[in-house]
Amino acid sequence: MISIQTDDVDIGALIIAAKKHGTGAVVVFDGVVRDDDITEMELEAYEDVATQELVKLATTATEQFRLLHVDIIHRIGRLAVGENILIIVVAAGHRGEAYAGSRFIIEAIKAGVPIWKKELTKDGGRWVTGEHGHGKPKTG
Amino acid sequence: MSVKIRFFARFRELLGSDIMTDVAAGTMFTPLITTVAKKNPEGYTAIFDEKGAFREFVILMKNGKRIEIADAAKTPVVDGDEIAVFPPVAGG
Repeated sequence: MISIQTDDVDIGALIIAAKKHGTGAVVVFDGVVRDDDITEMELEAYEDVATQELVKLATTATEQFRLLHVDIIHRIGRLAVGENILIIVVAAGHRGEAYAGSRFIIEAIKAGVPIWKKELTKDGGRWVTGEHGHGKPKTG
Repeated sequence: MSVKIRFFARFRELLGSDIMTDVAAGTMFTPLITTVAKKNPEGYTAIFDEKGAFREFVILMKNGKRIEIADAAKTPVVDGDEIAVFPPVAGG
């Protein structure tokens, strides 16, 4: 499943569904709203483009790391501290491919998928600064 | 002819989003965004520098595809185009 959505997902059900024939490892990345003295977090996406890019990332990761299954669910809207923001579930024959594929996907999302986060505080809010300028991976 | 301009994140807060605007034939990407952004001085300075050039971190898209800042001034917009302007992404 590749999705940008407001609703949370059942990670346990995703893990069960990810176990295809030949699976030897399932890696789950669960990015959550950290308690950085905020009240909530608001997430916004350029949904059509972001979804297309997540699909491309899943395809690339599948080919590059011989994955057997990929789920990417990125939530948008207002989320409380501790809620899930991003769930990536990958399955592969071996742990090395599963870990590498999961890492590739999260780093690529942070580098270039049009999604933004605003931390809401008692005094207002602040947009989270992206880790990469101009949508390209940081070098060095 | 008309095009849709979409700002996101801080730019959306300052300038709005899903802005439908009529444009003349031959209109280029950069002057179109300049005109729309000038409706809010804070929005304009968030996107453009003191020389009127796109700030280097600004990301531009036309119909879902990236437009390099260097090419924006010579990129025409046509009827039905969707233009997007946004700051660096911060998902995940």
